Amino acid sequence: MKELSLNILDITENSVKAGAGLTEIKISETADTLTITITDNGSGMTDEVLKTVDDPFYTTRTTRKVGMGIPLLKLEAEQTGGNLEISSKHISNFPDNHGTVVKALFYKNHIDFTPLGDVVSTITTLIQGHPDTDFLFIHIKEDNEVSLDTRELREVLEGVPLNTYEVIKWIEENLKEQYENF
Amino acid sequence: MTVKELANTELFSAVAMPHGEREINGVYIGDLLSWVMGRAEADNAWITIMSNNNILAVAALADTSCIILAEGVSLEDSIVKTAEEKGINILKSEKNAYEISVALSSML
Repeated sequence: MKELSLNILDITENSVKAGAGLTEIKISETADTLTITITDNGSGMTDEVLKTVDDPFYTTRTTRKVGMGIPLLKLEAEQTGGNLEISSKHISNFPDNHGTVVKALFYKNHIDFTPLGDVVSTITTLIQGHPDTDFLFIHIKEDNEVSLDTRELREVLEGVPLNTYEVIKWIEENLKEQYENF
Repeated sequence: MTVKELANTELFSAVAMPHGEREINGVYIGDLLSWVMGRAEADNAWITIMSNNNILAVAALADTSCIILAEGVSLEDSIVKTAEEKGINILKSEKNAYEISVALSSML
């Protein structure tokens, strides 16, 4: 995709579809790497499904539960000399601690590195579209950090839905402000 | 023009041709797979320099009549085998995307 933030949106939609109550989106940067880790507590995948998620053909020919999201993210990571790792615990074997972790490593200085793009839009879009699930967003670069936890917002808002216009606007402004000092 | 007819011209050679009878009705050029996926039209010949197995899924989703690998790009044997199995036509050419499309514009 043209921006990694669109890949993040795509992968996180999978988490929500898998019934995740909480999805953690973490971006951590060093001088030459960028790592995106998306961790959810959704239903997880069986080993059988897990083996096929990076096979684009398989996914397009079945119910398209996973879609092209993983194959494309993997390609984009590998294009920079990085890699993609997925681990998952399916609800049938792990009734109490199921979920999926997708971790993509990129080398930022590689000429084929896809820019991160507009993460603020990605996060606000996710919250707006799924106001009843929680998201924890963290972006770390050296000593700087941007973060947003919808669980904290929910506590303060006392029942006001997260997709209320004013709340979404506030989240957007808050993230933008945090990025100004990033 | 069919994929098979195109494969028989001087400029192209077949890499995988399970459905040589498919008609080519136009051309799309692109290497950013997510972009191509939403924009290439059914029955287009799709010119690319990408050579990973994801191109097969993109061609299947967009229902292109064939993939044309430009600039002498080659595929791993396993990808060619999958293409045969899944009914994806693939041709290749030593020319670049511009030269290929110029040639195609007078043929189609």
